Formats: sequence, structure tokens, C-alpha cells
Amino acid sequence: MAITRRQLLTGIAKAGAPAALAVAVGTDVLHAGEPIPVPSAAVGLLYDATICIGCKACVAACAEANDTAPDTRGDALHQAPSDLNDLTRNVIKLYKPEDGSAFSFAKRQCMHCLDPACAAGCPFQALHKDPESGIVNWTADKCIGCRYCTITCPYHIPRFQWVGFNPRVTKCELCSHRLAKGLKPGCTSVCPTGAVIFGPRPVLLMDAKQRIKDNPGRYYQNRVYGEIDNGGTQALYLSRVPFEKLGLPELGAESVPARTLRWQRRFYQYFALPALLYAGLVQVIRKSLKGHEEEAHEREKETGLRAQL
Amino acid sequence: MSTTPATVDRTSIDRTSLDQNSSRWERNVPVYGFPVVNGFFLGLSALILVAFVLSGYRELAGLGPVSGMNDAYGWGIWKTFNLMVLTALGSGAFAVGIAAWVFRRKRLHSLMRMALLTSFLAYACGLLLLGIDAGRPWNFYWIVFPWRWNMHSPLAEVAICMSIYAMIPLAVENIPPVLERLWYFDSRLRPGVEKIEKRLHYFFPWIIAAAYLLPGMHQSSLGALMLLAGERVHPLWQTPWLPVLYLGAATFMSFGCVAGTTMLCCLVWKRGMDMEVLDEAARITSWLIFGWLGLRLLDIVFRGALGTAFHFDRFAGVFWLEVVLILGGGWLLRRSLRYHDPRQMFVGYVISSAGGMIYRFSPTTLAFKPNPEALYFPATAEVLVSLGFISLGIVGFLIAVKRFAILPAPLQEWHNMANYFRFRRPYIRWTGYFKYGHFGENETESESESASAD
Repeated sequence: MAITRRQLLTGIAKAGAPAALAVAVGTDVLHAGEPIPVPSAAVGLLYDATICIGCKACVAACAEANDTAPDTRGDALHQAPSDLNDLTRNVIKLYKPEDGSAFSFAKRQCMHCLDPACAAGCPFQALHKDPESGIVNWTADKCIGCRYCTITCPYHIPRFQWVGFNPRVTKCELCSHRLAKGLKPGCTSVCPTGAVIFGPRPVLLMDAKQRIKDNPGRYYQNRVYGEIDNGGTQALYLSRVPFEKLGLPELGAESVPARTLRWQRRFYQYFALPALLYAGLVQVIRKSLKGHEEEAHEREKETGLRAQL
Repeated sequence: MSTTPATVDRTSIDRTSLDQNSSRWERNVPVYGFPVVNGFFLGLSALILVAFVLSGYRELAGLGPVSGMNDAYGWGIWKTFNLMVLTALGSGAFAVGIAAWVFRRKRLHSLMRMALLTSFLAYACGLLLLGIDAGRPWNFYWIVFPWRWNMHSPLAEVAICMSIYAMIPLAVENIPPVLERLWYFDSRLRPGVEKIEKRLHYFFPWIIAAAYLLPGMHQSSLGALMLLAGERVHPLWQTPWLPVLYLGAATFMSFGCVAGTTMLCCLVWKRGMDMEVLDEAARITSWLIFGWLGLRLLDIVFRGALGTAFHFDRFAGVFWLEVVLILGGGWLLRRSLRYHDPRQMFVGYVISSAGGMIYRFSPTTLAFKPNPEALYFPATAEVLVSLGFISLGIVGFLIAVKRFAILPAPLQEWHNMANYFRFRRPYIRWTGYFKYGHFGENETESESESASAD
């Protein structure tokens, strides 16, 4: 008697479910270097440095959208922050080489990495990657102000507020509050040349690749920074000059946490190894303690002085 | 060093008799005959006061006005020195404890109380300063909700593991000297004290085992902290072996701290040195040093970073300073073993620990270059707070060794102490503290006296 269709389907399901589970768990453990899944509704920015005119409208718009006081500490007049800081989530910088070769503006804001190092290091998940939109958000109620994020971020984005009793961590959160209202992020809503645009990450990626195709030789290495760099980011960059000059280091395809914390993660997996070590230690110390106590009490009888354990 | 015998003829040590000349460490004896409050103590107290006032100001004004920390160097000396370096020196309870309890180096038990005390003080002061260094310390309450922890974060591991370690296993391990003092203080307390001791001893294996697992975890995770910083740490220091090297540095540094502090105390308070115990500690330390240096150099060679050690820059300078200090310290320790010379041994401990301190300080500060222009130098207020919290530990140590039986001493010292107090402080006799100093004889005597009086 041949196997019925029903038997075949249930058989596959019965064998397949544990196998799928084993593969899912096994690959998680063994292949830490696998591509990181992109969040289902990943949004992002595409910044084309070749179109940017450096007007800094996005800097002002960013402060306005996030209800931050303008940073006029430079000359007490203009909102011209020299770098990201506790009042600045978004900044335009200029790369101008001494030898007069091609210059470029560089927009700096959070890259919203697919595997963010800041969130990997954050002790109580104050920095957290939204599983749907993929935006890396900061929650004031969970942050202890340890400033580890300022050390771990390979792009050096999160900034700590150094003055005041209630310091905050300032970083681009892709204007989550505006997205909820159906608006675009502040910086993209004012850009006059469309150098920075907002959209779903796959769409932006296609757009960027189309631009490279349409303008061969215009872009550095004919590639999009953030497609695979650091495991992939949700802010994508196109540039004429090397990405390193814009403050985007070459980090390789593997994300920083996956590359550096591999052994740490394996050692603490399910807390199995430490627990095993603990059990062994207890056994050894029990035996030592017994011998030590016996010796101490013998000594107590010899000297007439109370044992010091 | 002139007051201590340069060499000890081992054959003359009678192991069981109460030989007056024996310098064999038999018992932990409080430091007596020296006042707690003196000029040094008052100076340290003034530093503590200054640090507390500045910490109060920091809570109101923020970190910027009191420290040199900036956007590039988010971590200053409060974290990188007081916590990451000084808890390595204070890992004695871990390193000496493992040698004594796990590898059963029995003679090292005489150093255990010193190790436990120095560890507790180093961790307590480091964690207090961590609370001041944290920008939003009120959110530390998340520590009691394990499901809120980021289990894969090295910093969460450090913060959680360190607090648990200092508050539970380390604190509990330091209870016996306190109970002992209560036991001698008043005979009416004895049944209660003995009951608590019995219960404590029942839980000791679990507590002691935790006291080795937890520091093993967080001392290595301190190294793992800088792994995430990637290439911004100089290649001579940035390695996947950073956790192992951090843990290894903590072991030989803490041996140096415990044995070196004990030697210094013996010198200052005129105690005999047991060269047998000190030799054993020095032997273990020297092997730890050579093993650690070997691992460090092998790692550098196999990663191909050796070339950067010969560049003419500050990183190479720091690297060679570190290697020379640690290697020189290890060599002096080996040499002291041959001649039983406490002077060379002490210098060896100081030098190797100093080298270890530089190593532990480098990845976060000296060899950390977030960008070419970044600079960090601690502000005066920052240094004062740092010094104040170190002083807090030293003051705690001075009080503890003069009030509790911490420092190891020859057996005769205990009897000398009892005699000292009998004649110099007769008014405290009625408390029964030293009346019962000689376990057995005096007590039965006094009991029979009181019985006959009835």
C-alpha cells in the first residue's frame, strides 16, 4: 500500500519541525557570520554626497523637528555645530583635501545598523533596535549613563550630555515621532537638492544602484556604503571621495558585535559553561574546606587558641 | 627592611612548639599599640571629604564641569583607573583564594584575610565611584530585573556580576573576622556567634565557589569591553585574547597587591615575616607573570602586530615600559627566591604590579585613539575624587587591621597582644575581650571562679 497524501504531509511536518528547529538553533550557534536579517519594514536614509550643496538646512530642520535648542555655542549667533554633540543629531561636515582634489560634504547621523554595536553593548537595553522599522531608539528610563555607546559605536554617533544633573544621550532616532504622524524625518523634508531622501531600505538601495548604473565612474568604487558594510546599515551613502574621508570606516561585511563578541557569546550561551564550572568548583571547595577545618581544629587543641577560619 | 630578618633558616622552625623566635605565620592578629587616628589618617580623611564634596557638586552640575571627559573619550579615570585597574589589584580574594582553596596551597591561607579585605575595599570603592561616574545612576534599579538585562553585553556582565560579587560572596567571606571580634568581646555573645558561624560554614562552599566564578567572569569581561571598540584600540593591545589577558593580569597583580601589602604592613607595624609563605606566593606570582608575558608576546607575534612595537611613538613606549616593568618584576621575584630577600621581593611585586596596572589602563586610555585629534587628560577635580575614593579604601584598611584580626603574625604575637592589653589597658578587662585570650585555661578558670562565688 502506497503512502497516502495525508500521511506524506504529516510525515514531512513531523520530521520537519524538529529538523527546522535544530537547524535554526544550530546555525545560530555555529554560523555567527551569517548575513543579518533586515527588519520587515526597514526604513532608512539615502545620502548622496555628490548632490549635497552643504546648505545645512537639514541641521536646522533636525533641531526643530526634535525640539532641541539651536546649538549656537560656536559664535553665539549662528547654528553652526562643528560636530555631533548633545544638541546636534545631524551635522554637515566638509572634507577638503589640501592638494585641491575633489572635495565633498558629509552628512553625519546615526547609521541605524542592522546589528548595532551600541545596542549590543548597552547593559539594560536603553538603546534598542525596533524589530519592525529597524530604528535604533534610546529610552531615557533604561539608560544608566555609562557612555559605553560612545565607545562602541564604530561611527562615533551617540553623544552624551556633559552638563546637567539629568544627562541624556543624543542620537538620530530617524524622527520616529514624525514617522508615527505620517511625516518624513526633518532632514529629508527640507533638503533642496534631494541629497538626502527617506524611504524603505530596499527601495533606497535600488535607487542608489540605479544612480550608479546611470552615472558610471561618478561614485567611489561604484558601490553603496551600508549595503553590506558593518553587516549592513539602514542609512546608505553614495560618495565621490573615499568613504573613509566622510567618517565611514571600512569595517568589512561582518558586523562589529558579531566579529568581536563571538567567543563571549558562545561562552555565555544559555549560561551552560559557567554553571558547569560552578558545580565543579563547589565540589572541590567542599573537600578543601573539610580538610582545612579539621586541621584548624587540631591546631586549636595544640595551641589552646580559638581556630581562625 | 632592617628590622626584618633578611633570611630565615628553615631548619630552625619548629612547626608545633610555641617557639618565641619562630616567624611562622600561625594566626591573624590585630595591629595593637598604634593609634588609628594619626597624621596620615587625618590627611586621607581630608581627601575623602574633598572627594565627597566634589561628588556632590558633580551630581548637580554633571560630569563635564568636574572632569576632563569629552565626546571622544567618554570614559575617564574613574572608570578606567579606579574600577578597571584597582579591582585588578583587588582580585586577591580570587587569585590567592583559588591557589589556597582550589589548588590547596595550604600555607597561603594565612594571607587569605588580607586578600579578602583588600578585595572588598577595592571593589566597594570602585563600585561607589562607578555610581558617581554613571550619568543616570537612578536607573541602576534595572539590575534587579534579569529579563531586562542585555545578556550579551560585556558591560552588563561587568556591572551585574561585580555588584553581586562585592555585595554577596565577598562581603560574606569577610564576616568571620567580625564574628571573631564579637566572640572575644563578650562571653555572653558567644553562643549566638557560634550559631551564626555554624550556619555560615554550612553555606561556605557555595559562597566561596561563587567568589571564584564571578570574578573570573567579570575580570575577563572587563577586557571584552574594549573588543567592541575595534580598531580604535592600538593593535598591540586589541586582540581577541583581551579577556584572557585581562584576567591573567589581574591574577599576578593581585598576588603582588596582597603579598606586597602584607610585607609593607609587617615593616610598618614591626611584624615578623614568614618567608616560607612569602616565597610560595612569590614563586606562584613569578610563574603567572612569565606565563602571562608569554601569552601576550605570542599573541602579538601571531597577529603580526610586532612591527608596531618598533615604531617611534607613544604606543610603543607604553608597550615597552609595560613589558620591561612586568618582566623586571618577575625576574626580581625569581631572584628573591634564591636569596630569600624580602627587599627584592617587595620591589619585584611593586614593579610587576605597576606594569600590570599600565597594561590594564592602556586599552581604554593610553592606547585608545578614537580620532587623531582627540585628547583626554583628567581634570584636577577628577583626580581629587579619584584619590579620595582610593583614600576611602586605605582608611577602611587602616581601621580594619587595627580592629580586626586580619594581618598574619607568628603565634607569639597573639600572646604579646594579650599581655599588652592586660597591662596597658586594664580597664577593658571586664569586657572579657582579652580575659579569654588564652582559649581554655582562663575561661575555665573564670567560670570556676564564678561558679565558686555562687
